Amino acid sequence: MRMFSVSHKTAFVVDHCPYMAESSRQLIECDMLTKSRSQGVIPLAPVSKSLWTCAIECSMEYCRILYDIYPTNKLVNYIVSDSEVHILNSWKQEHQNTHELMAALAAVGPPNPRQDPECCSVLHGLVAAVESLCKITEYQHEFRTALMDTADRVANRGRIICLTNAKSDTHVRMLEDCVLETIQEQNKRAAGSDRLMPIQQCELVLVHIYPQGEETLVSDRQKKELSSVLSSEVHSVRAGRYLACKLNVLVQQHFDLASTTITNIPMKEEQHANTSANYDVELLHHRDAHIEFIKSGDLHMAGSTSRDSGLKETVTLKWCTPRTNSVELHYCTGAYRISPVDVNSRPSSCLTNFLLNGRSVLLEQPRKSGSKVISHMLSSHGGEIFLHVLNSTRSTLEDPPSISEGCGGRVTDYRITDFGEFMRENRLTPFPDSMIDAADRIPVERAKSQLERHTRYWPMIISQTTIFNMQAVVPLANLIVKDTLTDEDVLTCQKTVYNLVDMERKSDPLPISTVGSRGKGPKRDEQYRIMWNELETLVKAHVGTSERHQRVLDCISACRSKPPEEEERKKRGRKREDKEDKTEKNGKDTEEKGWTTDSERLKGVMEREKDEQSECEIIKDSPDSPEPLNKKPRLATEEQQPPEKSKGPVSLLTLWTNRITQANSRKHQEFAGRLSSVNNKAELYQHLKEENGMDVHENGKATR
Amino acid sequence: MPTLVLLDSSLSMTRPVSVEGSEEFQRKNLAVHGLTMLFEHMATNYRLEFTSLVAFSSLWELMVPFTRDYNTLQEALNNLEDYDKTCLEAALQGVSNVVQQEWGTSCPCQVVLVTDGALGIGRGSLRHSLQTVKQRVEDKKFPLPFPFPSKFYVMCIANAEELQATDSMDNLEQLINLNGGEGQIYTMEGPLCLKSVQSMFGKLIDQAYSPFHAVMRCGNLTSDVQVFPRPEPVIIDEEVDPMPRTVQTDLEIVGFIEIGDISSPPVLSRHLVLPIAVNKEGDEIGTGATDDTEEETSTNQMAGKSPNFCVLLHGSLKVEGMVALVQLGPDWFGMLYSQADSKKKSNLMMSLFELGSEPLPWLGRISQLGPASDAAENPYGEDDSKSPFPIQPKNKRSYAQNVTVWIKASGLQTDVQKILRNARKLPEKTQTFYKELNRLRKAALAFGFWELLKSVAELLERECTLLPDSAHPDAAFQLSHAAQQLKLASSGDSKYAAYEHNITPMLTDFSGGGGADRI
Repeated sequence: MRMFSVSHKTAFVVDHCPYMAESSRQLIECDMLTKSRSQGVIPLAPVSKSLWTCAIECSMEYCRILYDIYPTNKLVNYIVSDSEVHILNSWKQEHQNTHELMAALAAVGPPNPRQDPECCSVLHGLVAAVESLCKITEYQHEFRTALMDTADRVANRGRIICLTNAKSDTHVRMLEDCVLETIQEQNKRAAGSDRLMPIQQCELVLVHIYPQGEETLVSDRQKKELSSVLSSEVHSVRAGRYLACKLNVLVQQHFDLASTTITNIPMKEEQHANTSANYDVELLHHRDAHIEFIKSGDLHMAGSTSRDSGLKETVTLKWCTPRTNSVELHYCTGAYRISPVDVNSRPSSCLTNFLLNGRSVLLEQPRKSGSKVISHMLSSHGGEIFLHVLNSTRSTLEDPPSISEGCGGRVTDYRITDFGEFMRENRLTPFPDSMIDAADRIPVERAKSQLERHTRYWPMIISQTTIFNMQAVVPLANLIVKDTLTDEDVLTCQKTVYNLVDMERKSDPLPISTVGSRGKGPKRDEQYRIMWNELETLVKAHVGTSERHQRVLDCISACRSKPPEEEERKKRGRKREDKEDKTEKNGKDTEEKGWTTDSERLKGVMEREKDEQSECEIIKDSPDSPEPLNKKPRLATEEQQPPEKSKGPVSLLTLWTNRITQANSRKHQEFAGRLSSVNNKAELYQHLKEENGMDVHENGKATR
Repeated sequence: MPTLVLLDSSLSMTRPVSVEGSEEFQRKNLAVHGLTMLFEHMATNYRLEFTSLVAFSSLWELMVPFTRDYNTLQEALNNLEDYDKTCLEAALQGVSNVVQQEWGTSCPCQVVLVTDGALGIGRGSLRHSLQTVKQRVEDKKFPLPFPFPSKFYVMCIANAEELQATDSMDNLEQLINLNGGEGQIYTMEGPLCLKSVQSMFGKLIDQAYSPFHAVMRCGNLTSDVQVFPRPEPVIIDEEVDPMPRTVQTDLEIVGFIEIGDISSPPVLSRHLVLPIAVNKEGDEIGTGATDDTEEETSTNQMAGKSPNFCVLLHGSLKVEGMVALVQLGPDWFGMLYSQADSKKKSNLMMSLFELGSEPLPWLGRISQLGPASDAAENPYGEDDSKSPFPIQPKNKRSYAQNVTVWIKASGLQTDVQKILRNARKLPEKTQTFYKELNRLRKAALAFGFWELLKSVAELLERECTLLPDSAHPDAAFQLSHAAQQLKLASSGDSKYAAYEHNITPMLTDFSGGGGADRI
């Protein structure tokens, strides 16, 4: 449907003249006495609706269906006409709801039978309707503004539905002429105005309502072009359910609706709670939900039946009781809002409540042959029920090559879980319209830029990365991708780095992949070099984000061993190793002693860091800066390793244990204690030290 | 988008082509040559396309049903026999049936008609068909436009001058118009020879069978992909926005959403997203499905072993039960997800949403979706127990707000009965009694149905007289109070008939007490 078709604007004109107060003569018994109480009581006389009441409730029903199915974009302007015009609402979207119309109608009240019929006419309303159709709607305005030089593409079309009691065919012709004249007049006016638009096409639907049991004075007439702008049709209908039926047909015609009857809905009986009977519920929705039936020409095969004196057709679909509540992504080619025809009936409200509570129902196409075809699904989203059209024909995408057969399909160690975590962190959420950030970016652009930041360094496979396989790096990795860091975040990152320094000194095994290399893989110090390089790559990718990001990098550069000096250090290291070998023979006590002091000193540094967070850079120059520390741990590493090496070839057990430890370290989060342990001894109640502040060193020594 | 090749095998196709020197060709040979070229192209670059071959003369025959086996198609092409005169209408009807039987009416299809442009004479000729097109009865309608979305390509083994000399060209153009302008006529340029037939089919291949290559990106993670079938341009509104929109070749992921939140959205079309390896010259190595030559196999193995973002994304989407929202162009979005077929093979798929800023009402405007981490409070909850979706619309729908409809007498009777039922259980049901009473009152006022108000007032008064001796004294007070209020409302007096006004329970000595003594 085109955006600005005739159904964009509907003006309802309801006659409020004295003759509309006449009874429709359709009697309704509202005194339904229950058997036990009926004795001796004279039932009250039945009530009957006036022509006015009939017109109002049927037009409200028209609007109810319209608003259910088109909550936006299809607008109604409701006009009541007697000696003057009462315009009950405007084209504004906020005025488009039945509640507001009902309140306005209550204010108007029923027609006053004692009013002078001479000065009352529906003509006032028709003139007002034409004027109203010239008024520009919010949607028209929005598109005209957006299209600029092609603004003339925005059309102005509309429909007038006039509910009245006409005198004769001549009277009807007079009404039509009046509308035509008014359109010509108004179009001239509109041509010179910015706020108004000339009417390009107008459909006049005159509904003549007469009481039951009377002969009609007006004859039905098919749609006829009165001019290039105006077409008109006349419906002569008895008040009561005939009128209701007519307006139901009209709303379907006017808004391209179709009807589906859900059949076989099991429902508990009101009287007998443990029995259930099957019910049918008729729903209206956009016609396109039946497109497959219409096109293939088996509308009738699909179980469509003509009902209510052949006025409308409905397609019957069978309810399939939902088995599971599992979330599944169906291949759905359309979703259309629905409105129950009989909104208040028990079967309707049972069905809608069931759906509103979050269940979905698959609908089956009844077929004569045995095969079962699920063609539709009913499901609610945010309090609105939609009829989903499911694809039930053969797919052109069947039997595609599996993803494992294509590019990258043979790789087996993708970081699937990590990327899953990444996706969770990058889930979307709606923001209110006003929400724009400092850089004036709309939410969707912020989402993209977050993805960009989070993927600056993101190795896809496990064997490509070391740091992302280490639990110890997680705090830093999570923080560094952020747009802004707090001082506390920087501190956390720094702690992570110190922790790594500590690990290196203790020579903890790293989960470095040995894929592709034979044997043991790189040596421990080489492993750490790889790890530090990777960490630096990660942090470098974010260094430009803020000054605090830079501080994290500074910290890493300060703490890690410098790659350029590596060669030299290796040589030196080897010499020292020899020396160390000798010292080692002097006894392990000294070695242990050295360790303790080192770690204590490191901790001391860390504590102080906390106090001097902001002075991170200065630390480099201080005597206690991590620089010299860094070398010591390396020494320590070498100190620990040689004993094994000096014993000649490694035992199978050691090889195996190392391998297992290495593999295991990847699988579980290391105990906090073990991570911060020194020689596999963790200090308990560390927080006490923090609380006691200055006593750190002494306490530390005391525990030893 | 499946392809159906409709090949003219009438006698006129055997007309020889006059070429100086060299061997003699029939038009049919040229047609077969062109189709062979098309099939070869599809076998290498468009492998997943289903193609079918129908031959026609005065009758039509389905030579090869829809298949991806291009050898079979080629074989059938080579063994084609010659038949009698051309009768296009029956053949087009056949095409329509074949396609609908296989794919239904919603799947877009390409029909390639290969003919010499001699479209028959007299009854059954295209000229005759088109002349009578407006005088058809319901069940003998002309098969065009096809009931399914289609592109209708006509490959003429003739040059334009030849066709314009007769009315063939006009008739063919009329065919395209009947199909809503969806399609094109190709003619041969220069002499009828192998070279010009190649160039003609080359144009068709460029137009209809060029693979769609794109770069899929998620921040800095990228992958070169082929999207199959290629996404076709879409028009939103032919009046306001008549420009067809195409999917851009940069598919940028915006973020991620749970499958439950996206909730089976309606889509325009579905496409496979196949990672491809692109070498330095920009040539495609293969989609992974080709394994014809040894050389190719080895390059495929290489490609298979280097990590690809598509595979990672697919794996995680599958494991997490999520979809990735992807931007296809300005104000156009789609989703990427893992789709498994019955054989447990799974694949990365892309579905295109309808054009526009708000394709799914329950997600709201896509441009307003931002990273959840930007929200003041985690919208998914700390333990993933919540979700910001679906978005609630401003107004409730009629079925969710207990509206009053009295079009059927039963609706009105039910509402009156509800009031009476509660009236008999006063004072326990005082709240519900007044709630129902006010609902009825509001509707009666709006509908101008004052007679009903009077009638219900009388009913309540009668109820009052019928109260048993054991009834609570408050019941009588409430009933007569309610009756009186309804009568006042039915007078139309603006003081009592205001729509927003509610009748409130009468404050009595009993109503406060709760457990008051019975008389």
